[in-house]
Amino acid sequence: MVQIGITGGKGGTGKSTFSILLANKLREAGKRVILFDADVECPNDYLLLGQRLEFSKTKIYARFPKIDKKKCLKCGICVRNCRSNAIFQAPGEFPIFLHELCSGCGLCWHLCPQQAIKIEKKIIGEVFKNKIDKDFYLVTSRSVGIVDETGPIVSKAKQYVWSLAKKLKADYLLTDTAVGMHCGVIRALIGVDLAYAVTEPTPLGAHDLELMLKLLKILKLPTKIVLNQYGLGKNHFIEKIARENNIDIKYKIPHSKKVVDFYSRGKLGELILL
Amino acid sequence: MEVVLYLKNKIRMKKTKFKIVIASGKGGVGKSMLASSLSMLLAKSKKIIAVDCDVDAPNFHLWLGQNGRWDKIEKISVSERPVIDFKKCTGCGQCIKICAFGAFKLKKGKPVLNKFFCEGCGACEIICPSKAISMKKVKNAEIRIKKEINGFPLISAQLYPGETGSGKIVDQIKEKAEKFDYEVMILDAPGGSGCPVIAALNGADFALLVTEPTPSGFSDIKRVLPVVDHFGIPYGLVINKWDINPEWSEKIEKWAGKKLLGRISYDKKIFQAIAKLRPIIETNLPVKKEIKKIYLKLRKILP
Repeated sequence: MVQIGITGGKGGTGKSTFSILLANKLREAGKRVILFDADVECPNDYLLLGQRLEFSKTKIYARFPKIDKKKCLKCGICVRNCRSNAIFQAPGEFPIFLHELCSGCGLCWHLCPQQAIKIEKKIIGEVFKNKIDKDFYLVTSRSVGIVDETGPIVSKAKQYVWSLAKKLKADYLLTDTAVGMHCGVIRALIGVDLAYAVTEPTPLGAHDLELMLKLLKILKLPTKIVLNQYGLGKNHFIEKIARENNIDIKYKIPHSKKVVDFYSRGKLGELILL
Repeated sequence: MEVVLYLKNKIRMKKTKFKIVIASGKGGVGKSMLASSLSMLLAKSKKIIAVDCDVDAPNFHLWLGQNGRWDKIEKISVSERPVIDFKKCTGCGQCIKICAFGAFKLKKGKPVLNKFFCEGCGACEIICPSKAISMKKVKNAEIRIKKEINGFPLISAQLYPGETGSGKIVDQIKEKAEKFDYEVMILDAPGGSGCPVIAALNGADFALLVTEPTPSGFSDIKRVLPVVDHFGIPYGLVINKWDINPEWSEKIEKWAGKKLLGRISYDKKIFQAIAKLRPIIETNLPVKKEIKKIYLKLRKILP
């Protein structure tokens, strides 16, 4: 199975659009494709494919500490060792755990000499599967509630995707990442065979593309550029960066009303363009 | 003007320092374009400070017509990472066992860190029986300050590629911005609804939500709203590129009701203006008028 990551840094350059167009191209060639929407904060691929997220296949949990007041001796070892400052203790009182600051590292319940800290599970994400047709599946990961750290959701959703890909004997796994370059994007990209950086011909696109290429270099990923909205701004911004970094612009996608139309009607899965 | 009255009532009037956050969930819908334009318009009558909270891919300065040349650059550290002293390490594997994030792997009997999985919690340092692990500060980002651009200061930051901690970096630039003398702080949030967006919205007095008339734009606005509501921030909505899909625009307008602050047309010439690094407010594009209308409403909402 070939794994391809679709990313870009800047938002709205067409990551999701390109992901689906690429999936369409591969399906045309008779390949079985899984598209993984790893933008857990704002997943959109399902909308572009006219799907609904109804029943989650898997729930993703985070672990949080919870105090057992019967066992706790108020010794303060947990408070002193917590690096996230997520445990607060007033003199002579039981410690209070602040979930917003807790990374779920587990050190406190590991260190507690009384084993007075229990582990509480909280849902932070869910994973959905949509069968578009017999050779095209969409897996969507989405955060639940207000979640600070979304990287772990991506990593766990990926395990689900990998097992599904194995079961279905998929030829391609396309991973559509979130905007930016934060932990969620990095986690989505780790392990892919090839990354497409989708950009637009403006100084904004160029600025963010350069940053993204630096990240992809650090991750040691073979990379190609996709220039979307080709011809709308000034193409030379991107062509220059491609030359300097010795990276191919694999696709140039001109601005088209047709794409916008298929996009907003949730029919992008039907458009053959690449 | 119903919208103005409605929103004005929602805002605490005694504030002399006012923070407006521009957010959208979906990327590329026009946050920075609007943030930069509104900053320039507001700067005519108010003391403004602009803060670019998109530390992953900061673009605010480009919309203000500025590329490069900062007055001050300051490297910062917002997280720590374990460093292993292999002279002391016995390869016992305790660190691998305690790590909740799977950041260590055993290679040839010794732990190897995959920094992309490390959350910097320091559990490994404390658990290591041979005291072979120590947490060291990581330079994750740089804060960049432009003292004056179009009449006001801009504070921005760049997360170094491959590093994490954008939420904490946003906290730091906000702290830095607070030291300036200002009446209105304009914060441009990144896309998404995760840590940097939460950090940007925390403590805001008003949120200006931008969307585009597509199913994605609408869905993503609804993904950010819980964060806005969590902090109890009053908000208004702007629909950008409304005419690429009038049907969806109408749907979103209906949903927004009294909270609709305005709409902006799609104009290909925006691409050409930004290609020349020309702020929208300095062009003669029709969108400028539409943004001015939004500005006038916003102006009335402000204390």
